[in-house]
Amino acid sequence: MTANDEPAATTDRSTRFDVRGFARTARGNHRATLQLAEYAERPLPADSLRLVRYLGQLESATMQHLRNVLVTATHKDARVTAFLVTWAFEKFWLADALDAVLGANGVAGIEEESSDGRRHARNEAGERRGPIRRAISAIVVGTPIVAVHMTVGLVDEWITRAAYKRLVQTSGSTALASTIDMVLDVKRRHSLFFDDEARRRLSESAKAVRLTRTALHSAAWPLGAIDRSDDDRSFFEGFTFGGSEGHARAAAIGSAVATLPGIGDQVAATITARLSR
Amino acid sequence: MAFDVGKYTATSVSVNWDDLDFEQFRSAPLPEYSLRTLRYMTDVEYHTVCYTRDLLTTPSHREKDVSAFMTMWNREEFWHGEALASLLGVHGIVVDYDELKANRLKLGWKDRLDPIKQSVAGKLVGMDFVAVHMAWGAANEWSAITAYNRMAELEENPVLAELLRRIAKQEARHVAFYTSQARDRLAKSRKAQVIARFALKNFWAPVGSSIMERSEVVHVMNHLMSGSEGRAAARKIDSHIAGLPGMTGLTIVEDSLDSLGIAA
Repeated sequence: MTANDEPAATTDRSTRFDVRGFARTARGNHRATLQLAEYAERPLPADSLRLVRYLGQLESATMQHLRNVLVTATHKDARVTAFLVTWAFEKFWLADALDAVLGANGVAGIEEESSDGRRHARNEAGERRGPIRRAISAIVVGTPIVAVHMTVGLVDEWITRAAYKRLVQTSGSTALASTIDMVLDVKRRHSLFFDDEARRRLSESAKAVRLTRTALHSAAWPLGAIDRSDDDRSFFEGFTFGGSEGHARAAAIGSAVATLPGIGDQVAATITARLSR
Repeated sequence: MAFDVGKYTATSVSVNWDDLDFEQFRSAPLPEYSLRTLRYMTDVEYHTVCYTRDLLTTPSHREKDVSAFMTMWNREEFWHGEALASLLGVHGIVVDYDELKANRLKLGWKDRLDPIKQSVAGKLVGMDFVAVHMAWGAANEWSAITAYNRMAELEENPVLAELLRRIAKQEARHVAFYTSQARDRLAKSRKAQVIARFALKNFWAPVGSSIMERSEVVHVMNHLMSGSEGRAAARKIDSHIAGLPGMTGLTIVEDSLDSLGIAA
């Protein structure tokens, strides 16, 4: 991972992430800054458009994610829920920006559902649980579940960040590069919050570490992928983590995961292997 | 008239109070009983996220318009909490996230079971249950507007009235969404009407009842909804609810005031 990549960044532990300040300076509608006219002359290649659509679908899936998170003890942490309210708002507008890019290229937007089947990986069985089973198991787990949600959120940020950067590399579009700069800038604060919360909570509780290791092992990456088609997921993995450069990107994410308190090399290696399968 | 979600999301903003002179309350503070009511309102606004969770455990989260609305609605309500907390702040009452956490933790087992109960019900009746949520949401939002307007009338403080007017104006758009959704969905399904009527008649209680102590609910209802004017306001909410398909004759707000012992 290069020096300016997110996983290498560490937050200053002496100052906690300012949730109130984050909420106050939330960034909404980006339509005016998207340079959409450029696409009329130079439309994006098909692969780029497909990845833009996939990423837009993931960004827009916040309510599904909130459902899974809020049926657990995480909903009792008012600081976390205050963050998530604004996080969902910002992601709504990121999805809207990506949708506008698709529209300007004359292709179907993020609403377009792939009709292909879902992936049925055995390790992801837990991810396919509905809210009832999640709520019931959450009763036993209690508050350490917050660490799980924060860590999964952080690793998800690292993975999607790698995909966005790969998109800039391959699309050859200055308009898209500028839009993705904006997207990554908005997401930077999401990463900071998750990073801050994940490391603190993992270093405070052995139970949190145990639960998080299990969750990282069984997660479908990135967040929201469980609801997408196997075909789209394979495309995402190939595009972002395929080939030797892609494998290096997956390895860098694994190395970053290994730095999380108590998570260890084995879980990190599993994530790397799943990304570059 | 159909609710335009695109227009709503494009114009959704956090409520602004920077231009309001809250400092005046330092020399002329609001009375104790009003602060107690405002504290209740603050907690309810901050707790909106809990209601979102219940709504999300039903099939409604798959619907694009509902998701878009809820994203903005949640944020607007959070900012109502922030605005009211700021007003309480100049009165020396600190409402911070950590205090809210303590409040939610008190909910205990009942709170843990609620999403499960809601999910099971959601699964059982599928899309019809979304109609129930929408009717329920409409009743809550009508109540919220009424509460803010009543508070403004009773207090007769222009700065407070302006803040509450701004909040109520946003709540009015929430009402428009919920009623538009409830009307459409109830009109399409007789089963949804029966379930919604049953749920409202048997389980509805004033907003905040599930998260606040009964003594606080009674205080707020006495403050805002007692006497002939309070009753008239309650009847007005009931008439709105009764206007939804299949809800004719429901008097859930008046009934709940009676059961709390609030004098007419």
